[in-house]
Amino acid sequence: MADALLSARGVTVRFGGLVAVDGVDLAVERGELVGLIGPNGAGKTTLFHALSGVLVPDAGRLVVDGEDLTGRPTHEFAMHGVARTFQTPRVFRDMSAEANVRFALQFAGRRRRHEHDAFDDARAILGFLDLAQFAAAPAGALTPARQRLLEIGMALGARPGVLLLDEVAAGLTHAELEAAARLIRRVRDELRIAVIWIEHAVRVLLSHVERVAVLHQGRKIADGDPRTVARDAAVIEAYLGAEAA
Amino acid sequence: MTLELRRTLGTILAAGIALAAMPWVASDFVLSLALTCVMYAGLAATWALFSGATNYLSLATSAFFGIGAYVTAWGLEVLPYAAVVPLGGLVAAAFAVLVGFAVLHLRGAYFAVLTFGLGELVRHAITYSEKTYAKTVGRVLSDVPDSTLVYLTVLLVALAGVTVCAVVRASRLGLALAGIGSDEERAQTLGVDTRRTKIAGFALSAFFAGALGAAVAVRWTYIEPASVFNPFIGFQTVLIAMLGGAHTLIGPLVSAVGFSLLTELLRLQFPYAYLVLLGALLIVLVLYLPGGIASVLGRSRRANG
Repeated sequence: MADALLSARGVTVRFGGLVAVDGVDLAVERGELVGLIGPNGAGKTTLFHALSGVLVPDAGRLVVDGEDLTGRPTHEFAMHGVARTFQTPRVFRDMSAEANVRFALQFAGRRRRHEHDAFDDARAILGFLDLAQFAAAPAGALTPARQRLLEIGMALGARPGVLLLDEVAAGLTHAELEAAARLIRRVRDELRIAVIWIEHAVRVLLSHVERVAVLHQGRKIADGDPRTVARDAAVIEAYLGAEAA
Repeated sequence: MTLELRRTLGTILAAGIALAAMPWVASDFVLSLALTCVMYAGLAATWALFSGATNYLSLATSAFFGIGAYVTAWGLEVLPYAAVVPLGGLVAAAFAVLVGFAVLHLRGAYFAVLTFGLGELVRHAITYSEKTYAKTVGRVLSDVPDSTLVYLTVLLVALAGVTVCAVVRASRLGLALAGIGSDEERAQTLGVDTRRTKIAGFALSAFFAGALGAAVAVRWTYIEPASVFNPFIGFQTVLIAMLGGAHTLIGPLVSAVGFSLLTELLRLQFPYAYLVLLGALLIVLVLYLPGGIASVLGRSRRANG
């Protein structure tokens, strides 16, 4: 726990009377690939909001790279190496794809050291994602699937230590889904970035991650290796059961 | 420095030199018209620097402008004209920083209304303090510089403002402001300290409104809150910038000249109906040219090149 890159302890987020995230502990080590699953409304995205500093949790602590960032402004999370994508792509629509990535490089990524050539500049990042041919296109004109890829590119431009991916493969065909999963593996394997990956395509996710956490009604009900978690009675009851039936 | 920025700065310099010759070639009437054009060009461009980029619609221009004018009213007896102009800018910028801390977390209509209210607040505060402590409702400026010096000073401030706009647009600050305008939360998650960025942009924009107010104030010789905190100056600035295309540099400049000349022409030709005509024209422009004059300029440039 102590040397985790990103650790959340007892994180609770309330919206009025609703407890969206309820005392969740989650720690990610450097270079780990962790899946985060749970039924709709389980609090996955809300947990991401808390982990990336987009909203301040009502209780709990967030430690990034050894520094307690609880309650600090969003941009400091980015500066300390937490990058994320959004479920609905939020690219700067009027800027070119290249400018979108350059934006991240100019701010969050500016003072962060990097070891891989793929991080050198916007072109290299777009190349890594196979988006080089769309560098000059306005981001808003790309297909939704490419905008999701570009969101990953923006996140990579922040030269992060940990990347939070929120349903980057939503709406993809099965073949595209496998390609997206392979890309995520490359981000971790080649760029040595820790990834927390939310995806509704649970089977694909489970076959690629080495650890999975399960949220149900805001609580973490399981956290471990995918095979064990998939057999967990509570998980089957809360989540997989519904799909299997 | 990029080639594009160098070209823009060269154009600004050339335009500045040409405009600086006005007092020696133009009549008093034309010079006074030129001064109005230059003033609104400076106001609209520096307004767009912040509000055009971020989409935070500020109606505080009148407040900053009036603060600058009052710095001249209070300071001209003890300080040279060349000192009160930048001082007016600094006081306005300092006020913008204070205000920015209080209101820049608000968005949309709330921000617009609050910035407008702040202008009124400053106006009433000055009216009250003048009445109570100085026992006066207005101030007479006795020793004012001649019209050539006023024109050249306003021109210098406006040119400095436009130059700063061009430099900021090419800088990280400009990029951050544009990111805020596009998606503020996304910009935060990419490492932009949006609070500091907004305050910096707002203060920079306020500096030039204040300095222009301080420079122009001597033209009136009699200064009272109702005339220098005239909300019309703020509205006109916003209108000019939006008609020109507030996200561009050239748009507000072209629009400032066109709009000022048109206002003057209509006022001379139709002294009773000119506001009605102006209003009708604005409606037509907003309906048929939502992207501003700059969108037409951009289109023809693309068509030619």
